[in-house]
Amino acid sequence: MDLTPPDELIAVAELARSLGLEKLAPAARSAEAAGQVDGAVWRALTESGLVSGLRAEHGGDGLIDAATQMAAAENLAYGDPGIALAALWSGAAATLLSEHGTAEQGDRARRLSRDAAAPGAIAMYEGFGRGPDEWTTTVGGGAGTITVRGTKVGVPFAAAADPLIVVGTDADTGTLRAVVVPAGAPGVTLEPADGAIALSATQSLVASFDVTLPADAALGGGSLDPVALAVSVERIRLILGAVAVGVAQRAIDYASEYATERVAFGRPIAGFQGVSFLLAEKQMRVEAARLAVAEAASLIDGGAAGADALGPLRRAVRETVNYAADAAAMTTRDAVQVLGGHGFLTDHPVELWYRSAAALAALDFDPLCSAFAPAV
Amino acid sequence: MTLSFELSDELRGYGRQLRDWSVREARPLAREADDRHALPADWSKVLDSCPVPVGRTDIPDAEPIPAFPDGEKVTMLVYYENVNYGDPWVMTAIGGGIGHLPVRKIGTPEQIATWYTPVVKSGLMTGFALTEPQCGSDTSQIATTAIRDGGSWVLNGNKIFCSNGAQAEYITVFATTDKAAGARGIAVFIVPRDTPGLIIVKANESKLGVRSTLTSELRFENCVIPLENRLGWDAAGPAADAPSLGGQAGALSSLADNRPNVAAWAIGTAQAALDVARERLLAQRHGFTPRRWTVIEAELDRMDAALGRGRLLNLKAQYLVDHGTPSRAAAAIAKGFSPQTCERIVLRCMQLLGPEGTSRKLLLEKWYRDIKILDIFEGTAQIQRLVIARQLLGRAAG
Repeated sequence: MDLTPPDELIAVAELARSLGLEKLAPAARSAEAAGQVDGAVWRALTESGLVSGLRAEHGGDGLIDAATQMAAAENLAYGDPGIALAALWSGAAATLLSEHGTAEQGDRARRLSRDAAAPGAIAMYEGFGRGPDEWTTTVGGGAGTITVRGTKVGVPFAAAADPLIVVGTDADTGTLRAVVVPAGAPGVTLEPADGAIALSATQSLVASFDVTLPADAALGGGSLDPVALAVSVERIRLILGAVAVGVAQRAIDYASEYATERVAFGRPIAGFQGVSFLLAEKQMRVEAARLAVAEAASLIDGGAAGADALGPLRRAVRETVNYAADAAAMTTRDAVQVLGGHGFLTDHPVELWYRSAAALAALDFDPLCSAFAPAV
Repeated sequence: MTLSFELSDELRGYGRQLRDWSVREARPLAREADDRHALPADWSKVLDSCPVPVGRTDIPDAEPIPAFPDGEKVTMLVYYENVNYGDPWVMTAIGGGIGHLPVRKIGTPEQIATWYTPVVKSGLMTGFALTEPQCGSDTSQIATTAIRDGGSWVLNGNKIFCSNGAQAEYITVFATTDKAAGARGIAVFIVPRDTPGLIIVKANESKLGVRSTLTSELRFENCVIPLENRLGWDAAGPAADAPSLGGQAGALSSLADNRPNVAAWAIGTAQAALDVARERLLAQRHGFTPRRWTVIEAELDRMDAALGRGRLLNLKAQYLVDHGTPSRAAAAIAKGFSPQTCERIVLRCMQLLGPEGTSRKLLLEKWYRDIKILDIFEGTAQIQRLVIARQLLGRAAG
């Protein structure tokens, strides 16, 4: 038992918090309008070392532990969830190549995370409440070739990514495999980019794959450890939970400050339990979500690499991501509520967080993990 | 002998026609309204195509909403839900605002003839200026002043969130005549458009949702209006034939009756989201495991039932009004009940659909943005609870 955060985790969280507030938050509106993260902000993020964990031979400092990575994700999202996710997802693609790739694939990781215009990306979510053990996208080998078939949703940088790493299920063994699909590969079909409620800087689309490539496009070539890949996938899924916690905490803090300043009926509205309890209850949810993210991360760090441990890890990540995203949706709506009409204007950022949380809550959603409840 | 919650066949038919029309004609232009932050270019053609009268305010002598045996206020619930079912922009196009409501409540017969009857009869857009930058729910803090200067009132101050402010024929303005008197010092004034000193600071705010509704910021700078433009007054001063319930309290009570309409709007939007989601989900049913599909079907039913309960509360509140026994608490219960649940329903539908649900391919993401204001304006959820609590517990409730 040890709930005292290590010094390194605290240092990373503080660095991420200051980057979030000083670089991401001021760029949030322009990133949304442009549908892209500003180059200088992107560089600041990649150079911080917070969004990827490349091995030393690929120019990085090695994989940081999952608990520290989640603290980084939360605090970047405290600045802006859209920019944070764009950078974290691209960084995750580089990390995946570095961690599981062949020597040649690892080399690609080196330049990947540096380039905002050609980021890396991972195609994995499928919707329908499916988790990784249910993904229907198949990866199968022929003579000297590898084929990936299926449809993925919420694929970040679907049009720009080079490469796009598609995670699917081995057609024979049922274990996870991945294919490194270069930009422009034939057989990739993207749905038109119509935009979405939020997170536009992630440039997410639906992508369908019927792609056959030379066999060396398989992530890790012939020596991939499927369980290790499965753990990496859970780590990437968990980022969504950490980001949800970050945006929710920011919304609580912003609304709390407003509530202490805004006066009605002769006192700050914080003096009314209708307001203060609203925020206090959301703080309970957010703190619970934060600890659940940390616990799931500790499962990864504690050696969930064994096949036996994968089931409990997946369950923990699934429940945590769904709880955290629901908590973020509730919290951000209450933040708008506390600001009242002012919260409905783009003059304040709470409406952006309200939209962002909705997008988070729909991405890795499983109806078996979260239930509709009427408000009254 | 039993109760009956059944609407008349005529009113149900009216609602069905409205709903079909708003889906067919208005919904296809919803995206345009949202993107333009204004009504769609063809909005009046869309209204022309409406098969039933809706009391348009953009043309003279438009046929009013018909009288049904169910009662005037109950009829309005059906109107609100079904018009908004297509998309809320169309109500903005039809509706003329709420500035005339206080006139009917606290105006003299002459003021009603001048400012209320023409609005209802031939359609005029009215504005309502209550909220100020520093006060919303607590209207006693209004800082806009109205100072009497002989036969005139001189208005000074700032107003925000004034619906239709930049286009209204007149604006109904809440201002204090005596700051020391607090809420009792607040009176209500009619400021016609183009009155010197009425300044449109910002025609339309940049908003999360309901973007085609004009939300204006106004400033009054030595804005001079005649004495008789104060509701309850005539050219000589306080009118003998003014209603006994005057001032701010009376004017605000005119809003209470409208609260269930806001809840009906929320239900219309949530029902639209639910129906779109159900159809999309059925088409994609094969993608779900049987266990998940069972859960989803149960959830869709549960959301439908939640909307049904909201309708009952709306009906009860407006039935009381139509039968001459209005209840402020019943109206607050109706408005406190539905909007947040309706938000949750739209969110839930987006979640069930996955990233497609939050994409601009569907309108759910727009409706999730639109619907948020319904739990805020015309009394926040928190204010509704306060009204209900005071009914239960008296002034001790806080």
